[in-house]
Amino acid sequence: MKKLLVAATALVFGLGLSNVSGAFAGSSRDYISIVGSSTVYPFATVVAEQFGKSTAFKTPKIESTGSGGGHKLFGAGVGVQHPDITNSSRRIKKSELEKAMKNGVKEIVEVKIGYDGIVVANSKKATAMKLTRKDLFLALAKDVPSGNVAGKTVPNPYKTWKDVNPALPDIKIEVLGPPPTSGTRDAFVELAMEGGAKKFAWIKALKKQDKKAYKALCHTIREDGAYIEAGENDNLIVQKLEANPNALGIFGFSFLDQNTDKVQGSFIDGVQPEFDAIADGSYPVSRPLFFYVKKAHVNTIPGIKEFLAEFTSEQAWGDEGYLTDKGLIPMPADERAKYQAAVKNLTPLTLGDL
Amino acid sequence: MSNSDAINGSGNGRVRTMDIVNKGLAKRYKRERRFRMMGLSAIILSLAFLSLLFISIIANGYTAFEQTMIQLDVHLDAQEIDKENLAAANYLGLIRTSLKKTFPDVKKRRDKRKMYNLVSPGASFMLQDFVMRNRHEIGNTITIWVPADDDVDMLMKGNIKRDVPESERRMNDMQLSWVDKLIASGQIKKVFNTTFFTAGDSREPELAGIWGAACGSFYTLIVTLLLSFPIGVAAAVYLEEFAPTNRWTDLIEVNINNLAAVPSIVFGLLGLAVFLNFFELPRSAPLVGGLVLTLMTLPTIIIASRAALKSVPPSIREAALGVGASKTQMVTHHVLPLALPGMLTGTIIGMAQALGETAPLLMIGMVAFIVDIPGGFTDPSTVLPVQIFLWADSPERAFLERTSAAIMILLAFLVTMNAVAVLLRKKFERRW
Amino acid sequence: MQMTAAEQTAEQAEADMKQEEATPEETVKKSGKRKLVAREERATVGEMAVENPRMSCRNVDVYYNFGEKKAINNISLDIGRNEVIAMIGPSGCGKSTFLRCLNRMNDTIEGCQVKGEISMDGKNIYDKDVDVVPLRAQVGMVFQKPNPFPKSIYENIAYGPKIHGLVQNRDETDELVENSLKRAGLWNEVKDRLDQPGTGLSGGQQQRLCIARTIAVNPEIILMDEPCSALDPIATAIIEDLIDELKQEYTIAIVTHSMQQASRVSQRTAYFHLGDLIEIGPTDQIFLNPLHQLTEDYITGRFG
Repeated sequence: MKKLLVAATALVFGLGLSNVSGAFAGSSRDYISIVGSSTVYPFATVVAEQFGKSTAFKTPKIESTGSGGGHKLFGAGVGVQHPDITNSSRRIKKSELEKAMKNGVKEIVEVKIGYDGIVVANSKKATAMKLTRKDLFLALAKDVPSGNVAGKTVPNPYKTWKDVNPALPDIKIEVLGPPPTSGTRDAFVELAMEGGAKKFAWIKALKKQDKKAYKALCHTIREDGAYIEAGENDNLIVQKLEANPNALGIFGFSFLDQNTDKVQGSFIDGVQPEFDAIADGSYPVSRPLFFYVKKAHVNTIPGIKEFLAEFTSEQAWGDEGYLTDKGLIPMPADERAKYQAAVKNLTPLTLGDL
Repeated sequence: MSNSDAINGSGNGRVRTMDIVNKGLAKRYKRERRFRMMGLSAIILSLAFLSLLFISIIANGYTAFEQTMIQLDVHLDAQEIDKENLAAANYLGLIRTSLKKTFPDVKKRRDKRKMYNLVSPGASFMLQDFVMRNRHEIGNTITIWVPADDDVDMLMKGNIKRDVPESERRMNDMQLSWVDKLIASGQIKKVFNTTFFTAGDSREPELAGIWGAACGSFYTLIVTLLLSFPIGVAAAVYLEEFAPTNRWTDLIEVNINNLAAVPSIVFGLLGLAVFLNFFELPRSAPLVGGLVLTLMTLPTIIIASRAALKSVPPSIREAALGVGASKTQMVTHHVLPLALPGMLTGTIIGMAQALGETAPLLMIGMVAFIVDIPGGFTDPSTVLPVQIFLWADSPERAFLERTSAAIMILLAFLVTMNAVAVLLRKKFERRW
Repeated sequence: MQMTAAEQTAEQAEADMKQEEATPEETVKKSGKRKLVAREERATVGEMAVENPRMSCRNVDVYYNFGEKKAINNISLDIGRNEVIAMIGPSGCGKSTFLRCLNRMNDTIEGCQVKGEISMDGKNIYDKDVDVVPLRAQVGMVFQKPNPFPKSIYENIAYGPKIHGLVQNRDETDELVENSLKRAGLWNEVKDRLDQPGTGLSGGQQQRLCIARTIAVNPEIILMDEPCSALDPIATAIIEDLIDELKQEYTIAIVTHSMQQASRVSQRTAYFHLGDLIEIGPTDQIFLNPLHQLTEDYITGRFG
């Protein structure tokens, strides 16, 4: 008993000492640390795995923290305890870049990797919906324009899709979508809802006069039960759609791609979310995906250069690359060439670029 | 009845008591039966739910223990493989050549891509490993079993239905015909999925394994155990045996009880602020995870240990003091050994709680995609429940069954831990 | 000083009898006339002092709950060498509390305060520089309920000597264990199962094991707190015989509920009542010619 206690105490102290020395002497890291968007996560992980298997470097560690969380961690400073790369499902904000620069992260290389489509889908048991962005705005906004009077809004009165647009079926509006913390939700609100709202001339004009009011109108989703926050787990949304053929769901294209036997994408502005339609830009609800590299780390953390080369190689992000298997929509060839060059030269982003 | 008749005759007072007792007797027994039934049905209900849980997990997950493999005849072209630099060879090309030979009539570019995707992207790495281990085979044609792609795997396991229209399937008719051909020639089979138990995480379901997360959980729990058990027991012993009862110790006691009810995410935030930002320990390391979980489990262990100490009869303490043992000797020689089984139980409960925790680890970066199997306390790693969470969130269908399989592994871990706890308790209790 | 108290009591109680100057012997003689000290009197009567005492207690007060409750009140008595002194009295009279003061077991009770002087061989055991560990090695204790350690019989005996460093090796320990068990009259019953748990013995055997454990440390005084109250008459008789033997070497203070036991084993007896020491004297005298009405009441079974 006594010996056991002594041994345990010794171990604890030994461990404690090794911590401290590890913390202060361990100023090196032999793997790449990546944080950021959960939308880019499935793509970044594939590249990381490929990179880890095909090179002598360790496999990068990737945390899914969301775009905002990623930028916060990324911009906190330079040094091994800070991540080297952050993924983002939107472009870095000016404020985020300024903050990073203030924290000593002076040079950041921006890499666009491709596009992601956001789909509105329903069960295969029902017929595909033919929606417009205006329909989506009217069906899901908290306040909608009343009549044709400019500036006048009423709380969303629509109960069925038919109320929104007589061409649509007489089905209760029921949409399962991600919570406000999700990048998918941000993009949906920005691309679909705002796009639909802009169809009203006075709302479009409002953008110039009162940006805050404009955003509040376009970006606020109704809270009366027609829009159901289904959590971050997109698999769950797919399962719920299967159980309820009248419901629509909002999620990333990669989930539609993996579940084509269960769900179908709705037409938006006449275009169905398909690989080619998103790639050529005719599908309206798609967004670019990015990652950002800390230039100061490139020479201190082993493998960053090689990782960037892997990510930007044709076999990864090209038209036939393995990322397309995972649902990434590739950029056109000339855009790829542009970002490849940026990676090669490690051209940093300036405030003027944003 | 004859008995009560006999009593009837014996006296008036007694007759009345017996009558009253007899009258209420049936009701009393009925109430007892009802109470027993309620208890029994509660047990049955919980057992039913438990078995429902197990059945659904096992039904979903047992297929993950099998993996579809495809046999390929690969010609290890001596010209393609540089003996001096084995890693540089185009193994993917070799695999593709082999597939082309298997299905010579596939000509269109799009179809070829589909054909290449019959086998896992990991196949080329398997081939590379094979060549590195068997240099002498270069130049020969070898037969190698490589994992099939997750879609093929799902088809073989019946998770992709053949009888639905082509447009509603993830695999088209042509792909089905290829698989059929492989089945007919015996070049496809299901084997025990060793990858699942030996590999780290992967984005390809057929290459993903639980071992990396299991190692991460192991290292994390080792840290937690080594820190929380001695600290918890020491704190409990001090509070229970040595500390005076005054306002301060009352305050400490109340706070420990409150800490036990604090949501675990709060400990994660604390860990982020203290261990990562202040002490600058590495992110995503089991060391930090263990420290955070130590904070979380300490109250549980302290409370359980104090209860165990309280339950040691005072007569033992008096006996020890009576022969002249000092207070510390009394505690270490007599009280602690008797309280140890209870303390161990508390510790195991705390450990089990720590094993299943994800929320506090989110803040310190252990919710991450980590392929390499951690080899120490500062390597980036994840833990079992996080792995389950990550897989549950992955789009690929084949991760569904792996999620259930991972849950089974986690449960197995828990059952093993509890078994160890029971064994330890038995062992220590046998020492009276 | 204590005598003075006794005198004063007598004076107040039976002022007209003018017995202030009476020596204890005279008191005994007087008691032959059955003139008893009245029930209301609380000062100690009888001979509390002995020559060359092993322990002597003067004006001991014990309080519980940080002074809120007074448990025993101004007790003074001596414990002689190689004698058995019995302490009797109804429940709650403070006899156990007093006994536990003698090896400072009351220290373990939170809020318990002891005032007055208890000295052993001339040294106050409540002095600041006194260490309780050697004190308890010198003043052993046997408790009301047999409480062997949950260890083997051998370990039970060997534990005390081991922690005090009385034995150096296994042979010495073996010898000491055997001797202690022999002196406690338990050896023949347990010699073949020394590795068995002590808790597996019968109640009487357990209590003798506890006595053996106590004498293994070779104390000078053994305190026994109702050692037979949980035992049957046969086991009790064995223990009583054992006490008789032990008194050759040890001073024994025994608290008991049984007056028969007190009369059988002790040379002197102290009668406690509600925290006061009422009467103390040779056992024969206490039981045959008590000086105090309360003692008389108790031994004749009027209460308690």
